[in-house]
Amino acid sequence: MHTVSDKSAEVAFKPLLRFEMDMATFLSDWQHCDQLSTFMARMISHNRADPIRHSNFFSFALNELLEVSFRGGSPQGLIDCTVYRRDATERVRLSFTCPAEQQEFYREAVSRTHQKDAIARYLNAISMDQTPNREVILLDLAINFDARVHLEKRTPASITLVVDLPLEGSIC
Amino acid sequence: MLSTTPFHAEFDSNSQEFFLAGVIRPHSVDEIAASIFMLREAIDDVRGVLYINLKRLVQMNNTAFQAFARVVLDSCRTRTDLRFVVVTSSVVGWTERMFKHLSSIDPRVTVEVYDSGFYPGQSFVEDTGFIPILRTQTKMTWRHERTILSRHGMRPGIVMADICCGIGDFAMLVKKEFQPTRIVALDHSMVSLAYAREMATSFDIADIEYTYGDACEMLLEDNQFDLVTCRHSLQIFNRPDVLLKELFRICKPGGRVYITNEKNSHCLGEPHSQSIQWTYNEVAKLFSHFEMDVELGPKSRRYLADAGFDDILIESFMVTNLDGDPQDFADVIAAWENVYAGEMAVKRGDSSEFIERFRQGFRDHIFAALHPKGYAGWPIWAASGRKPS
Repeated sequence: MHTVSDKSAEVAFKPLLRFEMDMATFLSDWQHCDQLSTFMARMISHNRADPIRHSNFFSFALNELLEVSFRGGSPQGLIDCTVYRRDATERVRLSFTCPAEQQEFYREAVSRTHQKDAIARYLNAISMDQTPNREVILLDLAINFDARVHLEKRTPASITLVVDLPLEGSIC
Repeated sequence: MLSTTPFHAEFDSNSQEFFLAGVIRPHSVDEIAASIFMLREAIDDVRGVLYINLKRLVQMNNTAFQAFARVVLDSCRTRTDLRFVVVTSSVVGWTERMFKHLSSIDPRVTVEVYDSGFYPGQSFVEDTGFIPILRTQTKMTWRHERTILSRHGMRPGIVMADICCGIGDFAMLVKKEFQPTRIVALDHSMVSLAYAREMATSFDIADIEYTYGDACEMLLEDNQFDLVTCRHSLQIFNRPDVLLKELFRICKPGGRVYITNEKNSHCLGEPHSQSIQWTYNEVAKLFSHFEMDVELGPKSRRYLADAGFDDILIESFMVTNLDGDPQDFADVIAAWENVYAGEMAVKRGDSSEFIERFRQGFRDHIFAALHPKGYAGWPIWAASGRKPS
């Protein structure tokens, strides 16, 4: 498992935009995933070399992460999403409340994005499964968006995913 | 909060093509059951190959991707006679990355990326050697356009898009002269856009949003811009009506679309007017051979009306050798000679005798431009229409 413990690297990422919302409110409407990802992508992409396409790519990735929290989250507490930037990379830090028993699932799912058989697992899933599970979504981001996925240290009843997306270099 | 591009699925049995367009982000597969059913019916209907056209797909979540992918892969198992061609756009690069995995699972699924073949004459106008001439052309036309643009909706504070922006010099000139609040500048040439960004950086202009895209299949949302400009481009698209439809779509109701186009056969010069006129008549025929209409200028009014615009304004201006340095005019004509006679006529298979006569008209035009008593002209039609409120 990878954890974000390098403080100097953390400092180098500058915060761009943050939203915080009651989980109950967030979970009240599926469209929140699309609306929030579209809005945040547009806001943070304005000064990228190709803002329209950067926004499109970023929106894809953020929407998938928000959908993960929608499908796995609990209606208590908050969802907290911050987007940071360092050079060509955007970092999404997404915290949401979820049942304690799911923490191990996320830990394993994140760990699998770093394993050598990630692509084989991904291909097997898209050829066999009717609908994607949350593990496949993290694999998709790692494989198709070159994302580095991490999990922050355990906190009670919540998960914090940290996803680094080096989109700028792959778009222009 | 934000307008969402509606999701659209369609099957055309004539072309054996299944289209997906817009934003497809369902919570469950049930929400897209009708489209999944349509794809299954399309598979039952076709023979040999099914094209899955994703060129206008803006977003698709993994739920939708996996549902459509599953139908395709299941069909590969049951229909051994069938193959699938997924057509993606290079503009939305993640579609290519995701759908290419299906080829790894079953080689009868292939992915074609729609990019360099946006339109038939593209290779002629994207040569990097042409960039200095494009700059000179814009310098020459800008002397006229800066005085007429305000009649066509240009004013400070607007939100505008320059579609087919090329090397981005028009957008920069507009930014300095008219101070719009926002400019999006779109083109299909990565090389031109890289040059545009470099120039903008060197001129310390940071807020023009240069974006790569196909003008006929843009990612831009509906009804966004007060003014949409598209200069010298309808005439080099093989389907100007399709391009104009897109310009109409992204324009705000009450906003305007401004287009400029030429009528090349009306280029003129003295002395040697007959030689010049012969050559430019042949230019029009040559472009027509490559599905481009460089006679489009005066047809702008009809195109705008057919696209649904009202309050249509049209005017023409003549770029001449007397506007500025005559050498600029001569340099542009020399560049045209190189491309039209040196590349396009050769590609058409014209004889050396034809090409020599063809070249002579350009040389006579240059002679007229540089002659102390000569006159050389290049006419351009500027037109705009208002999108009804």
